[in-house]
Amino acid sequence: MDMQGKLARLKATGLRQDVVLLLLFCVMVLAFSLANPRFFSIRAMANILQDFSPVVLMAIGQTFVIASRGIDLSVGSVLGLAGVSMALVIRAANEAGLDPWLAISLGLAVAVGVGVVAGLINGILITYCRLVPFVATLATMGAAAGMSLVLTGGTQIAGAPKEVILLGNATYLGALTVPVIAVFVIIVVSWAFLSRARFGRWTYAIGSNPFAARGAGIDVERHLIKLYLLSGVLAALAGAFVYFRLGSGSPLSGRGGELNAIAATVIGGVSLLGGTGKLTGVVIGALITTAVLSGLILIGVQPNWQQIVVAALIALAVGIQGLGARGGR
Amino acid sequence: MENASVLYEVRGVGKRYGGVVALDNVDFTLRAGEVVGLVGDNGAGKSTLVKVLSGAHEPDSGEIYLDGQRRVWKSPHDALEAGVETLYQDSGIAPDLTVAANVFLGREIVRKGFLGKLGFLDEKAMRRDAHAELERVGIAVPASDRPVARLSGGQRQAVAIGRAVAWANKVIILDEPTNHLGARQAGEVLEIIRHARTKGFGVIFISHTLPHVLEVTDRIVVLRLGRVVADAPSSSFTPDSLLKAITGLGQS
Repeated sequence: MDMQGKLARLKATGLRQDVVLLLLFCVMVLAFSLANPRFFSIRAMANILQDFSPVVLMAIGQTFVIASRGIDLSVGSVLGLAGVSMALVIRAANEAGLDPWLAISLGLAVAVGVGVVAGLINGILITYCRLVPFVATLATMGAAAGMSLVLTGGTQIAGAPKEVILLGNATYLGALTVPVIAVFVIIVVSWAFLSRARFGRWTYAIGSNPFAARGAGIDVERHLIKLYLLSGVLAALAGAFVYFRLGSGSPLSGRGGELNAIAATVIGGVSLLGGTGKLTGVVIGALITTAVLSGLILIGVQPNWQQIVVAALIALAVGIQGLGARGGR
Repeated sequence: MENASVLYEVRGVGKRYGGVVALDNVDFTLRAGEVVGLVGDNGAGKSTLVKVLSGAHEPDSGEIYLDGQRRVWKSPHDALEAGVETLYQDSGIAPDLTVAANVFLGREIVRKGFLGKLGFLDEKAMRRDAHAELERVGIAVPASDRPVARLSGGQRQAVAIGRAVAWANKVIILDEPTNHLGARQAGEVLEIIRHARTKGFGVIFISHTLPHVLEVTDRIVVLRLGRVVADAPSSSFTPDSLLKAITGLGQS
């Protein structure tokens, strides 16, 4: 009886966290709307959803990785590299007179390929070369950012067929673009695999106690490589979606993206110690992060302040988590 | 016990790390229904022998036999598949997962049909079966959908051992299972080991706590500096003579 009571309380705590986050998001929307009525419009919502897409994609990958007691600092740079690689391929294909949809498919394949390679490099550095995730993904972050500059000579790559802009910006039901719809599908599928399938169970087990996971016969190295692969591919998809939206690839896009992704993840309640974290919280965390970024612009704060605010959010969220953990034990 | 067949055996096992000889020509046997204590000072080679027995490390020389058949373990997974379960010191459990998730870790029950192929879990079946399995091996079961982190140290260890006993079908290796436990909880763990013996498992019990070893084992193997220096029925040891065998003091 006592056990059941505790159990109910435990479930309620999990639920309550999501409710608190959702309330926080609503309060923010309300506050920003009062400060600038334009914030509360279909148009602004559509914009927020478009800003939200890359953040949440990177945050999903980050959630899997952090739940396994790792971290992926390379997501922002991989987003940028995937975007410019795609832009270069599509521009070349377009100039060669290829069918635009074929060119887009080709570009998308190249972007995903970039994510696969980056993820594999991270995974192999962490498992077989035994680098700590922080160092391994920091190296990949630098290499990917540098590669973007090498490929583009530091300039923006335009030359996209008009189908790209159409794909990235045509809205359905008022505020939904094709990439945004794809993002919603990815959220649901990722949630299912994290919370309901063996893939997620093993991810938490590795983050909770890698020795126990190995002792239980789980191939920890193989699973970790899959996680970094997933993170890389999601970051690359984020790069593709940013490209669809802007119609050009910039080597600077994705800069600081890892900051936003980690902010969304820790605001969503994922512990950097591994073993826990729910994707529902992270999705709301990504909404909050995006709303803060957009809201700041709408109320007239200089964009240069964004990184500082996001960094403060990370510190605040992790601080609150620490307080909660101390109170709970 | 003499006429029971040998269940698990290593012969002439050697293992060195760089210039350090961890195991030197070690023989070790375990019969069905027997609890064998493995003792020795720090650095005597206990952990290395455990790693060889559990498939975590391949020996440089020597042979492993299970049920009379020559075996080569390439990974702990091979040993698990063959029925050799190991509970490593302080690492048996994932505290963030529930009791049921821990019992079924690495062997999850998946749903039927397409979702099962994708690895979607049948949590209900696991909760139910975890409860039943733990009860079967003699463990007072905490609620199986509670995270292990919420259990007491003794309950945690009971779940870890219960998991090992529930899945083993031949050999159970327990590395320091009574570490950090209070007297009553340690007593419960020893009770689980006795229970496992009656089911015909071979149990290898590694511990620094000599009274526990003397209490629960049938036979004791003493390692010193990578060699077996004693292998005799537990009843032939006194606490004093066992300590002397381990340290090598008071012998010629």
